[in-house]
Amino acid sequence: MDLASLGGDLLGTIPLGDIVLYFTPFHLFMFIVVLIFTVLIAISRTETQVEASFKTLKDNKVSVGLEEFKIRRFLAIICGLATAGAMITGDLFNFTLFVALIGIVNVGIVSAVKQIDVLDAAYNYGIIAMLSSLPLFGGAAIVLASTGTLSLFEIANIATTAPMMTFGAILLLIGIAGETGIAPFFATKAEMFRTPGSPFILIIHLSSLMVIIRAIEILLIIIKVI
Amino acid sequence: MIRIGRLWNELANPRKIPKLFSVILGLILLLGFLIPMDLNVDQLYPRPAPQLQIEEGLSVAPYDRGGEVLKVPGITRAQYPENSESIGMVNSYMSPQALFVKSISPYFGTSIYSSPGGLIDEILYYTRGFDTILESSILMMSFTIASFLAVNFTMKRKDENNSNQDEEYN
Repeated sequence: MDLASLGGDLLGTIPLGDIVLYFTPFHLFMFIVVLIFTVLIAISRTETQVEASFKTLKDNKVSVGLEEFKIRRFLAIICGLATAGAMITGDLFNFTLFVALIGIVNVGIVSAVKQIDVLDAAYNYGIIAMLSSLPLFGGAAIVLASTGTLSLFEIANIATTAPMMTFGAILLLIGIAGETGIAPFFATKAEMFRTPGSPFILIIHLSSLMVIIRAIEILLIIIKVI
Repeated sequence: MIRIGRLWNELANPRKIPKLFSVILGLILLLGFLIPMDLNVDQLYPRPAPQLQIEEGLSVAPYDRGGEVLKVPGITRAQYPENSESIGMVNSYMSPQALFVKSISPYFGTSIYSSPGGLIDEILYYTRGFDTILESSILMMSFTIASFLAVNFTMKRKDENNSNQDEEYN
């Protein structure tokens, strides 16, 4: 599929050597939405969870320490910026790098919590994120080998889809599915939300939603099924 | 017969997810052996045929990309040449040590320390510079997380019980 039917007319590009970021109404909208959320998260403070205690009338407050608050806010802002970058990038390898950055930052946001269940889930998610770097970069490499280019503009101009390109796209999909933790692999990420510090935890969710939308567009550019 | 509800319950356990993911990944990688191989020879960063430069007797054999530093551009192609106008200018740069080894050995290009610095610079820092920034920021983030954990979970662990309630942020 060509770029215009997926994202609308091309509004402009940001050339950085071979890596050209581009704006269409679709990408511009997602870019701005992610930036707004990042700003909202950056200026907000963490929630405090209140747990009812067993066999007593006291409540147990679970809150986030100052050090942990600072590192989480920093990592959440990096995660938001990486998501915003993944929305507008016009280069396949660049996109996979943004996704890998999102994955490692997501592990970092929950890495310092004190709940053992959450740490266990984050550990398992980290294993998946490491595993999925193989199909992620491997898929981009296979697409590069079979097309000779990584630029999405050039890939969109190629008329036919070779079987290798389809295989590369499937590998990319597996990599992104693992790195963002979507449907069959969602349990690891869902467990990670059960910790105090809500706004920073939310960026984990938001980044995977946005990246999936962008990934589907990129896969349609590569495969051209429609 | 496995009921689907039981299957969903199995999927809800985080410990099972990496195993499931690796099984699916392995199956798809095995499927890759059935895909007909396909290589577009019109690559972005072209290389000469394997033995061509060795037969010509060049001492930087597989890596000779022509050009003269800051005078004549070497063989490096860019996807968008209009964005990188002085491409290829540092293509054939070699350090003084590399020049010395090149002058005494005809097998310079085959050794591990003969990485063609200029050529890598062209790609890493000129045409695809943004990728290099991102790669190093991934590395920096992992070091940030690791050092934060190291400081807070090993060095400060003794203080944690004493001052657990003091540092709360509300």
